[in-house]
Amino acid sequence: MRDILKLGLFLLLVAGVAGASLSYVNSLASPLIAAQILQNKLDSFKEVYPQSDKVVDETTTHLIPPHDPVIKEVNVAYLEEVPVGVIYAVETKGYSGPIALLAGFDIATARITTIKVLSQRETPGLGAKATESKFYDRYKDKGIDLALEVTKTPPLKENQVQAITASTITTKAVTKGVNAAREHFIAHFAAVKQP
Amino acid sequence: MQEYFIIIISAVLVNNIVLSQFLGICPFLGVSKKLSASLGMGGAVSFVLIIASFITWVLQTYLLTPLNITYLQTIAFILVIASLVQFVEMVIKKFSPPMYKALGIFLPLITTNCAVLGVAIINIQNEYSLGKVMVHSLSHAAGFTLALLLMSGIRERLEDADIPESMRGTPIALIVAALMSISFLGFSGLT
Amino acid sequence: MNLKDQFTRGLVQENPLFRLLLGMCPALAVTTSVNNGLGMGVAVTGVLLASNIVVSAMRKVIPSSVRIPAFIVIIATFVTITDMLMHAFTPALYTALGIFIPLIVVNCIILGRAESFASRNTMLPAIVDALGMGIGFTVALVMVSAVREVLGAGSFFGLPLLPENIPALIMILPPGGFIALGCILGLMNKFQRKTA
Repeated sequence: MRDILKLGLFLLLVAGVAGASLSYVNSLASPLIAAQILQNKLDSFKEVYPQSDKVVDETTTHLIPPHDPVIKEVNVAYLEEVPVGVIYAVETKGYSGPIALLAGFDIATARITTIKVLSQRETPGLGAKATESKFYDRYKDKGIDLALEVTKTPPLKENQVQAITASTITTKAVTKGVNAAREHFIAHFAAVKQP
Repeated sequence: MQEYFIIIISAVLVNNIVLSQFLGICPFLGVSKKLSASLGMGGAVSFVLIIASFITWVLQTYLLTPLNITYLQTIAFILVIASLVQFVEMVIKKFSPPMYKALGIFLPLITTNCAVLGVAIINIQNEYSLGKVMVHSLSHAAGFTLALLLMSGIRERLEDADIPESMRGTPIALIVAALMSISFLGFSGLT
Repeated sequence: MNLKDQFTRGLVQENPLFRLLLGMCPALAVTTSVNNGLGMGVAVTGVLLASNIVVSAMRKVIPSSVRIPAFIVIIATFVTITDMLMHAFTPALYTALGIFIPLIVVNCIILGRAESFASRNTMLPAIVDALGMGIGFTVALVMVSAVREVLGAGSFFGLPLLPENIPALIMILPPGGFIALGCILGLMNKFQRKTA
């Protein structure tokens, strides 16, 4: 009996030391991790909408229920305190899991600036090509008058996006997200340009 | 209901824990020489996997998250699994000697089976509700047992096959696993 | 056995992946690119080194009946620290390796070395053993991932080698992991037999 108590105490001690050292390392690492996540987010915003000096998360103001569940965040980009662009965080269902991406819109020209895929679980070498900038360019500078559609051939019309070879489902999922953002943008921001 | 169905199909076939997520490879290669042994291993892993998923979910939801000590997740989960394995071994030994005879030798191996810890962590990462956790871990257990049984069925026949000397044993088992994995790729996109 | 032999033992004769067949899960799962393989190898080496040092230092204090749980706690602690450090300093690698970082805890190599070597030896041999085994595992991971990345993605360390449509995509999909490891093991057996 005394042995069991002693062994139990020993394990408790080991676990206690382990827990204490972990909480110490955690207190050092967690601000770094948080800063790194924030920096990552700001960098992604910059990639999607470069010409701004401030991006504010205005999801609560602009995302009024009932809204399209695909849209997760509405971030407004400001240049010298004037709203110039909108960066949407959207999430859709791809071929093998959720795809989270950012879609940027320019308020003045009412066009898509570009997109950026944040996370995905698509097939490596196929759907995962959606994370390449070559793919982002297919959405770059598209107008918002018509909903985007996916084609398997090089696009003939302004609102067409060419699918990644053998990954039409992935492309459709990304396009669905961009279109959801587009509708929200038309309803809430496109009016801003015409006084 | 549909959500649950998707979880089941996805866990058993599309994202099969062994053939596409590479968890639990050691028993998959080590204990798949005989059909009976693999049935025992499948049973033992399923048993521990399901109970461990339940306990780790409760632990995470009611202790680690509220106390804001989620960084202790790995250490807490592995301790739960290690003690659970010991406990299950003791209980089975006492109450069901025939079952102990069948599963006993596999139980100690399960502590270091990454399928158990892996599924427990995936449950938390996917932010599943308790119902989904149970369905999810049950399906993964089924997927593991399925892969193990298929593998041992093939390997029992492989015994008589004429294989180049240097490919015998693990190398050919890996090639067989590759072929199985290719056929399971056919399920992808099903959900 | 001298220290040099101990070091090379982990690299060659008792290479954890190729000879002892330990640590198969990460060896198959994260070897889709050389970068990931190398990152995983370094992470495992770090945990192995730290746990071997602590286990060796505490070998006279730990009662033998509870040594396994004690080892597991020590290993889990270092795995969690590695997890945090990687999250803070190498975020891209952290995302790529994902669940396989916490799963280092159940990597048989580490518990195996703690139990069979570090708990029976003084600190210096334990360090050498950890380095030998860790580097041996890293080299093995890099070999598997080099085969997969070159054949499957047509690149090496992310640098393109082959033109776009040539690569055999299957090699970076799950089956490719099994194929690559199976073939390497087969070749090793053949080679071993000839020299023996």
